[in-house]
Amino acid sequence: MPINITLNGKKIEAQPGQTILEVARGHDVRIPTLCYHKDLSPTGNCRMCVVDVKGSRFLQAACVTQVSDGMEIETDSPKAVASRKLTLGLMLANHSPSCVTCDISGECELQDLAYEYQVDAPVWGMKGTRYPVDSDPNPFVRVDFNKCILCRRCVAACAEIQARDVWGVAKRGFEEIIVAGAGATMLEARCESCGQCVAYCPTGALSNKLSYGQGIARARQVTRVATTCAYCGVGCQFDLLVKHGKVISVASNPDAPVNGMALCVKGRYGYDYIHHPDRLKKPRVRRYLLEYKEKRLKGNAWDWIETDWDTALDLTAKKLREARDNFGPDSVGVLTSAKCLNEENYLMNKLARQVIGTNNIDHCARL
Amino acid sequence: MSNSMDDVAQKAEAFFVIGSNTTEQHPVFGTMLRRAVRFRGAKLIVADPRRIDLCDFATLHLRHKPGADIALLNGLMYILLDKGWEDKDFIAERTEGFDEFKATIMEYPPTLVSEITGVPINQLYEAAEIMAASKPMAVIWAMGITQHITGVRNVMTLANLQMLLGNMGVPGGGVNPLRGQNNVQGACDMGGLPNVFPGYQPVTSLEAIAKFGTAWGLQVEGSKVEIENAEANLQPATFQLSNRVGMTATEIIPGVLEGKTHALYILGEDPVMSDPDTHHVRDCLEKVDFLVLQEIFPSETAAYADVLLPGVSFAEKTGTFTNTERRVQMVRQAVEPPGDAKPDWWITAEIARRILAGTPGLPSLNGPFAGWDYPDTSAIMGEINALTPSYGGITHARLEAGERLQWPCPTSEHGGTPVLHVGKFARGLGKFTPIDHIPPAEEPSDDYPMVMSTGRVLYHWHGGQMTRRAKGLMQVYGEALIEINPEDGARLGLNGQTRVRVTSRRGSIEAQAWVTDRVPPGMVYANFHFPEASANELTQAILDPVAKIPEYKVTAVKVELTN
Amino acid sequence: MTNKKITYKPIDPEIKELVRHHGQTGEAALEVLKDLDAENRLTPATITDTARALRLPAHRVYGMATFYSMLSFEERKNILRVCDGPVCWLKRASEQSLVSSVLSAVGDNWTVERSSCLGLCDRAPAVLVNDEQAGPVTGEDAPKICEGWRGVPTDYSQPRPGEVRVMMANADKIAPDSIESAVEYGAYSGLKSALQKKQEEVLDIVEASGLQGRGGAGFPVGRKWKFVAGAKGSPKYMVCNADESEPLIFKDRVLIDTNPHQLLEGIAIGGYACGATEAWIYIRGEYEYQARLLERAILQAEAMGFLGANILGTGFSFKIHVHRGAGAYICGEETALIESLEGKRGEPRLRPPYPPSYGFRGKPTAVNNVESFAAAPHILKNGADWWKSLSNYTTPGTKMYMVLGHVKNPGLFEAPFGLTLRQIIEDFGGGMQEGSTFQFALCGGAAGTIVNGSLLDVPIDYASSQKGISLGAGAFLVCDQTVSPVAFLRELLHFFAVESCGKCTPCRVGTWRSAEILTRMAIGMGQPGDMAELQALSDNMLLASFCGLGQSVPIPMNSAMKNFAAAFEKAES
Repeated sequence: MPINITLNGKKIEAQPGQTILEVARGHDVRIPTLCYHKDLSPTGNCRMCVVDVKGSRFLQAACVTQVSDGMEIETDSPKAVASRKLTLGLMLANHSPSCVTCDISGECELQDLAYEYQVDAPVWGMKGTRYPVDSDPNPFVRVDFNKCILCRRCVAACAEIQARDVWGVAKRGFEEIIVAGAGATMLEARCESCGQCVAYCPTGALSNKLSYGQGIARARQVTRVATTCAYCGVGCQFDLLVKHGKVISVASNPDAPVNGMALCVKGRYGYDYIHHPDRLKKPRVRRYLLEYKEKRLKGNAWDWIETDWDTALDLTAKKLREARDNFGPDSVGVLTSAKCLNEENYLMNKLARQVIGTNNIDHCARL
Repeated sequence: MSNSMDDVAQKAEAFFVIGSNTTEQHPVFGTMLRRAVRFRGAKLIVADPRRIDLCDFATLHLRHKPGADIALLNGLMYILLDKGWEDKDFIAERTEGFDEFKATIMEYPPTLVSEITGVPINQLYEAAEIMAASKPMAVIWAMGITQHITGVRNVMTLANLQMLLGNMGVPGGGVNPLRGQNNVQGACDMGGLPNVFPGYQPVTSLEAIAKFGTAWGLQVEGSKVEIENAEANLQPATFQLSNRVGMTATEIIPGVLEGKTHALYILGEDPVMSDPDTHHVRDCLEKVDFLVLQEIFPSETAAYADVLLPGVSFAEKTGTFTNTERRVQMVRQAVEPPGDAKPDWWITAEIARRILAGTPGLPSLNGPFAGWDYPDTSAIMGEINALTPSYGGITHARLEAGERLQWPCPTSEHGGTPVLHVGKFARGLGKFTPIDHIPPAEEPSDDYPMVMSTGRVLYHWHGGQMTRRAKGLMQVYGEALIEINPEDGARLGLNGQTRVRVTSRRGSIEAQAWVTDRVPPGMVYANFHFPEASANELTQAILDPVAKIPEYKVTAVKVELTN
Repeated sequence: MTNKKITYKPIDPEIKELVRHHGQTGEAALEVLKDLDAENRLTPATITDTARALRLPAHRVYGMATFYSMLSFEERKNILRVCDGPVCWLKRASEQSLVSSVLSAVGDNWTVERSSCLGLCDRAPAVLVNDEQAGPVTGEDAPKICEGWRGVPTDYSQPRPGEVRVMMANADKIAPDSIESAVEYGAYSGLKSALQKKQEEVLDIVEASGLQGRGGAGFPVGRKWKFVAGAKGSPKYMVCNADESEPLIFKDRVLIDTNPHQLLEGIAIGGYACGATEAWIYIRGEYEYQARLLERAILQAEAMGFLGANILGTGFSFKIHVHRGAGAYICGEETALIESLEGKRGEPRLRPPYPPSYGFRGKPTAVNNVESFAAAPHILKNGADWWKSLSNYTTPGTKMYMVLGHVKNPGLFEAPFGLTLRQIIEDFGGGMQEGSTFQFALCGGAAGTIVNGSLLDVPIDYASSQKGISLGAGAFLVCDQTVSPVAFLRELLHFFAVESCGKCTPCRVGTWRSAEILTRMAIGMGQPGDMAELQALSDNMLLASFCGLGQSVPIPMNSAMKNFAAAFEKAES
């Protein structure tokens, strides 16, 4: 049975069990959040989403407070706004002050809120650094706890999305810190390097090492292309971040049908082969094909010669045709590819059957 | 997969994962299983000789001997039948062949099964109890089930189990093989198999031959049977579709030495790394008359290629992949190909066009899809739509509009099919097949006292052409590691990082040993990501008689310290 | 698959055995850690093995090991914990630095640590020598600590003039280690009386008595027990909060010291009334002596059939366990206590749901203070009307009070509600010390109000905080003209900053920043704007903190700044 509440002076219906935040978002009322993420269990840690509830001595954290019948909520009362500003200041006081050199400047949720509320780091804030920068040897995840606001989204992402429990919370009070395992490195703490923690980190505390310094968060310079992963059969989707014609990073795409924000280490971090110098850039044929009549496997006859496409394609067509015509269609074997597109596999099937006339077509499904 | 991953992860009361190292090979689906166990309280039975990472989450880990899957499953079904826990209604209404099947199962009492599999009797009962109490249960497997000489029999035994429990055609149940490669499903769907046209239309079916022959502009009338001895047929081909099932990859390559295969056109595959018995594969590739390889890297196989054509990676072309749950998704070009590299579909079309153009006396091919002029992959998809009923309604336009489509999706109005076999099986009644245990082809002997199983690891992919060129992945896992149990390690005098030599009847590799209780005593686990120590130097090309899958999971080996 | 560099290492068999000994569940984690700590074996490696043996994530066990202040990665042979609480600070201020005198006295075999508050305010300045409570320590005594000197516990056998003793009655007659002597003076007769009644009748009597929770909030005990009795879910649990970590408070320790069976009896009565089967006494780690006393008492009571299976032949079975904390004030917050009991960091939970519906192990749980339980047997024995008759004031029954600081006779006493601060100082504390004039008092506990002379005559109960003077857990620290209110507040904020769990931003950073400002102000380095910033931090902690700890820090802050504005203004410039 729906209940009646008043949200910013407007009477609305809500469902019992809904949080104030859920109801507000359902009515396009924005409440700022930091530790909250819709994919993760709410914890109510950061206190950014505090709102004024009539009759309560304390402000209520919208992300964890359920609505009740007759509740009157003011989301932006002067009290709530003042509290958010002060809390933001407390976070910024313990946050590395240098946004201009930060890798995620532009995508940083703390930066967004500091701007929105026009809060600067207090003068008494962190001078120098409390923790070593880039403190974990993990090859993919760059850790800089000087930027950590202890929202614990990384802890929840690791526990609830990846179900791996690498990240936890150690010490207490002002000394509190995020920790991998028993004060270990991430890999020692059984990290699978999936990067979920990076994807959910609202600040630059956890960022991507492979693309560090390439400005992945500078939206003006980066194009995002949503695509499907080329590793396993799960079919995760993600965005390729492209800058100056190069793939510089992979980012979670929350709309991905199969995987949502989740990715594995290969999908998220195994992309740099795309621009590897070993990539084949020109067709090659063996020298014997151009200079001799017969196949020679030895000596310089077996050297590669780079050619244009016409040369290579004509040679290939001729050789396949010869085999077909001399030894019959079934003398040609076609191995198509489980890594290639459906459309390409269709063409390989068509080539084998229509052009060559054989059913000797297969791929590595068995291997 | 008969069900979709989300359906299984959300709705299964229990999972039976056998022969799938899900969290390493299908990591994101693996985490869905972990979440289902952790947050939804779903039961998880893992049957695997190795203590894979998923075992941390398992309600029960059945550590059976490699190659003892059928015995294990029959033993579980014995208990289910003995206790009367089978789904009698389902069996009566939707299946056939039960009595004969039951007679076979009754030959697998727990004592015998425990002896064959090494699984304690109480664990067999515990597993059966979980299966009986937790429905629906989804069965999930991968190559650990199929890469055996009994691969097909293993799969049929799993189907028997699910029918016995009535777990077929229901959300959260079903038989769910996890496909390895990103588009292995699509490659199969698109006719990349020796026995079927796209959409699994048999090459032996006159109806299918007529359909594709007409579409592709070939003569249809009197499709003649190929002459058995191809070498005797020196006449130019007559442009007819062959109605004879072709050879599989595991037959095509050895066919070189048998005089059957003279030319090979390989697209983005690396048989030197991925096929069994590497030594033999190298021998074949060296001897083939002509090998054209279309690749993005100079792979191990490239050393044997006569022509090497630069294709492009997934980031440089647009088209579709089909995932393990039959979901067709867009791949979109993000960057330009390097150098002169061209999209693979363009290259294939060019080769086809040039073969046709160079064929003397070829009549002009008349058919709606006879030609090879494709402006883009969307046009190719149009042809697929017309010829592949299950893909009939899957167009780039729909996918670009954000529709989520899983085949079968026969028409442009159809919304796709997340769960197969609801209400009835494709063949009508589900058939129980009596299946007996057959031991692996190669069992440990005095000379080769240990069993080697092969597979991949989280940080690498297959032959490793991509992942060995990914900086971070190499930092975490930079060389081949042989997993060996601490007991065997102690026996061999392994201490910390030590190199070992693993030898089978076919070859020998040397690599670092990784002492870990992930593998049981008497077993080693090796991968094929690194050419300098690829497990396939040791594996044998003995195949499942039906599916022609090699028995990668059981190879008899000996392990020695290197000096 | 993990990093190849991880070499195979089976779980340390000794740790496996330790884990088995403590029950193989996550709840045993703290016990295992304490054992490892006692052997100086607390390292990341042993923590990882403990986690593996308990099937817990390594970070969770490490998070605990670094959360509780009594645990340490340092090698320690003998540990001398010097109390850092405000009462000991007051004493030290006049008797030079205890730490330095102790440090110079002890040898290499000793590690000296500062401890937030040892709960020995009546023995200030106090120290904890390994497990043994000692004090008051003067400069002369310090060197003797290593030789076994422990000082003399305060004697509470005789009532002060004006005391009304119920829970402390017979303190002179009962030998704490003898159940026979306790039974002789009526122990377990309240339980017998309860067991002869229906569960509902017991609940009605407790409710009718008007007994309010003695932890400080004053929630009606009968109502809480009825929630638990009526809550869905089983089994149900009783939890006794003996964490008593707030500076100024030591009444629970004295109640256990003088009459442990009274507490056990009260818990059993509650268990019967709520339909619970098991109880845990969560006792702070610094009270090892009291924990052992309770454990012995439980064994005696079980042997006599007052606890355990089929109590007194009634078919009611009830088991009481003692669970030791390891140094964390926040664990006095009931949900943090439950988290700690479950083998986690003692961080408060989201509420609702509240413990009566979702408590220990997610089951209905009644969490009550030692003093609340200790009152129950008397109510069952003598009836609700009798209990009400004890106090002429609005709140029924008697209360344990602690009067401390610059009074002639500091210590503990039992009396009805409605006393004024003046009565507490003059009638029970013997008046101000020679040469001392009253300047202010911290009322209730560390999170209480700091009042000036204007409130000396307000009757105090759970509602009087509205008037600016709180009862809290019943402690009153009286300070004379020599004490700087700014420095005093600094001591309190230092305590809260050290003890903040760190979960929420306003408290984690707010307490730290407030302490920083006050530290500066107290040594004459204040800056203009300091008071405004303190006020803003205080307001934000009150409005936006996650739990009662953060919400209560502003109480002493605001009252001090309001009542002693001049002193703060002076320190600012």
